[in-house]
This record gives sequence, structure tokens and C-alpha cells, in this order.
Amino acid sequence: MGEGKKENAKPFDPFEPLREMRDAYLDSMAKVMVETVNTEGYAQANGAILDSYLTASAPFREALEKWMVQALQQLSLPSRQEVAALAERFTNMEMRLDDIDAKLDQIARLIVEARPAAATPPVEPAKSAAPAKSPDSAASKAPASAKRGAAGAQKSTRRQSARKSER
Amino acid sequence: MAQAAVFQDQLAGMEERLRTVSRLMTTKAAIAQTPKQLVWTLNKAKLYRYIPVVPPEKRHPIPLLLIFALMNRPYILDLRPGHSFVEFMVSQGYDVYLLDWGVPGFEDRHMKFDDYTLEYMPRAIRKVKALSGVQEFSMLGWCIGAILTTIYAALRPDDGLRNLMLLTAPLDFSNRQGLTFARWTDEKYFDVEKVLAAFGNMPGEMIDYGAKALKPVENYITNYCKLWDHLDNPMVVEAWHAMNTWVTDNIPLAGGAFRQLIVDLYRNDRLMKGELMIRGQRVDLRRVRANLLTVIAEGDHITPPCQSEAVLSKVGSTDKEVFHVPGGHIGIMAGSNAHKMTWPHIDGWLGSRSQ
Repeated sequence: MGEGKKENAKPFDPFEPLREMRDAYLDSMAKVMVETVNTEGYAQANGAILDSYLTASAPFREALEKWMVQALQQLSLPSRQEVAALAERFTNMEMRLDDIDAKLDQIARLIVEARPAAATPPVEPAKSAAPAKSPDSAASKAPASAKRGAAGAQKSTRRQSARKSER
Repeated sequence: MAQAAVFQDQLAGMEERLRTVSRLMTTKAAIAQTPKQLVWTLNKAKLYRYIPVVPPEKRHPIPLLLIFALMNRPYILDLRPGHSFVEFMVSQGYDVYLLDWGVPGFEDRHMKFDDYTLEYMPRAIRKVKALSGVQEFSMLGWCIGAILTTIYAALRPDDGLRNLMLLTAPLDFSNRQGLTFARWTDEKYFDVEKVLAAFGNMPGEMIDYGAKALKPVENYITNYCKLWDHLDNPMVVEAWHAMNTWVTDNIPLAGGAFRQLIVDLYRNDRLMKGELMIRGQRVDLRRVRANLLTVIAEGDHITPPCQSEAVLSKVGSTDKEVFHVPGGHIGIMAGSNAHKMTWPHIDGWLGSRSQ
């Protein structure tokens, strides 16, 4: 029994008091720092540092941008702004395609729902409210356009990554 | 002789510890492991559907859509196997979807809350409904994601949103003295336009600095000391590695959204005052009718509890609940106690409202 206790007892660690001192120091420092960062003085100093960096770097940044635009123009290449504008147009087109895809989905669903009622005589009483499709069946049973959407989505992801790498 | 052997052992131990630290600091942990399927994309946004593990008859019919913040990766919701909120919810029978906003590029610098809530979210939700085959859905918004979901719920009250869960939602900015971010971004000290003119988007590194500087000693020193102290404990080490992978994976915030966050919310508290305009529509919180659960982290220094409490008195929902959890902004969902406190409560609340 006594031996068991001895085995379970934590071995003596000469660094434990140092660790405790360190933790106590860090705790008190943490409290001081939290109070410090929450002062007007800190906010002001932070703002001043950021502002001076932005002010000092602005002329260089602007000059570099101007030079880059001219260089790209000379090389008959589109500028960053032009590529960005193109990307925005792509996104708008994607949105329209997504809307069309959703409408096609809706049409396909309506056709599927209408078909059995028109083609087959009602042998069994039809369910008044269709139960929620299970995720499995939703994924496997058609929405053909949903599958198309997922495939298209993967394609478009590939397109995006390609575009990204081009940039 | 014996002393030399002990010394050699100690050296070997130290070398092993340094090797572990080096691995943790220079590699990425395997995160977001729950099996999922990409079902929709728009620009950089991706909608994932998690593969169900529960038989269809035991599943909840109402799907759950997760919306995370714009400036962090959403895989904090699916951090690592056994410690993943997504994995937990899938195992509880939910049809879980996750909207990943992606990384905004220079071309997305004009994107605002308007775009996220009226262009992206409605389309993603349409896809969720089409794939799930039901017209109703639940939404969980975390941090800035909670702002987006609240705006959406107010602008589209008839869109089938049955349950709305807000985690550490920064919605009320009236207590400016209690908000360190509000102080830092005050117009006296912080020029939003100058920052955005320089960078286009708000750089991820600056956001990361802002979040860490709220508790500088904990984030820059104590965090590493604790790791050093527990290097012999593989469970602690792996948890630290996964969290460090997420914390250091910073992404920028689209310029337009950042401007709205600072000017409309932090400086003018327009959402709570009922003055926030999204594409010409006023965001009226009284129009939120979905069942509402607000989860507040009591030790949250990024979104202090005072920011999430007032929404309950503003919304039009009749079924509303607030749940206080001890812990921090991220810890309540990804900490070691999340699976004992926050997740079961969310499951209990949502399960009874997802039939």
C-alpha cells in the first residue's frame, strides 16, 4: 500500500518552484498588459504607428503602382485593376448561372413530380406531404442538375485556382 | 560515470523536446477531417455538405447551416477527429452544411455585408434546401458569422429559417468603454480609408495582431510556456498543434465589410439602433422570428458578453434563450470542455426544434 503510494507520488522536480514563480509573474504581467492595451494612450500610440507607416510608405507604393501600370501597358498586359474588374464580371456571371441552374432544378423537379400522377393510375393513395428526402437519396436520386451543380462547382473551383495561379 | 549517463539522458530529452517544438511550429496539423462533399461554389465561397453517419430514419429533417466569421478559417468547427463540433452534430443525426467564405482577393475588396447576406447566403441556402428536400433550415452563426446570420434573418424572415443560433455574437456596440476594439478603431486614432487605400482588404496579419494584442502576455508568452510544460503529454501537444494551425492561418477581411464593421457597427452601433442599411433596406431586428439561441462566452475578451445580450430584447422571436458558458471566444466551441457543455446544449436545444 505504502509502496503503491510512493510509486504514484509525483517525483521531486527542482524546477517546480521556478515554474510557479514564472507563472505568478506572467499572471500579474498579463493583468497589467490587459489594462494597458485598454487605455486611450495605447490606442493613440497604436494609431500613430500605423498612420506613420501608411504615410511613409504611400509615396513608394503609389510610384510602384504607377510604374507597374506603365510597364504592363508597354507589354500589352492587363493591369491589376483590369484583372480585378474581370474577376468581378466572372462572379456576376457565376451568379446568373447559379440562378439558371436553380430554375432548371425547379423545372426538373416539377416534371418528375407531375409525371407519375399523369402516367400511372392511382393504385395507392398518394401521400399528402412528401417526406423530407434523406441526404443519401437527395444525393443519389437525381436532382440531375444538383449533380451537375456539384460537378460544375468542382470545375469552377479548378478554374478559380487556375486563375489564382495565373495571377 | 552515472552522472554522465544522467546528463546524457537529459540532453537527449531536451533534444526530443526541441524537435517536438520545431515540428509544432513549422508543420500544419491534420484538420477538417470529417468527410464532406463540395456541393456549391460562388466566387471564393464554397458550400460543403457533411456525409451522414446516422441511418435516415434517425436523422433530423431540418438541415443545419454553419456560418463562420469572414476573417478566419471555418475549420475551427471541424478541428480534429474526436474534437470536432461538425463531427458531433453529424453523429447526432443532423444534415450539416458549412459555408466557407474563402480568401478574398484584391478583386473582392468592395465586398460588403450586403453581398454576403443578399447574394451569397440566399443562394447557398437555396442549394441547402434543394439538396435536403425541405423548405426549412437552421442556421448557426459564430462571431462575424453571427452578424451575417442576424442580418439575413431580419431581411429574409419568410425564407424558412426555423432556428437561429448565435455564438459569441458581436451585435451591440453601445458600451464603447467596455470594448477595446472600439477604442482602438475610434476615428481619432484609426483611419479606415487610409488602411483600405493601402491594402484594399484588411490584411489577416493586422487582424491577427489586433486579436492577440487584446491579451498580449497570454498569446505571445504564456501560450508557449504552457506548451513547453506539457510537451510530454501527447494529447495536449496535438490539441495545441491543431489550434496553432488554425490560429496562424489568417485570412484578410474584404475591404467593404471591414469598413461596415468599423464605421457602421463599432463606431455607430447601427444594427442595434435599427439604422443599419443593407442594399437600401433597413435591418429591423423585430422582423427576426426564428427560434433563437444565443450562446455567450463569459470569459470572452474579443466579444464581451455585453455585446450579445441585448439582441434578445430586440428580436421578434417568441422562443428565445440565452446560454452562458464559462470560457473564451474560441474555447467554448473548440476547447477541451466544449463537448461536455456547449455542444450538448446546442444539440438539446436544436434537436427538439428540428422535428
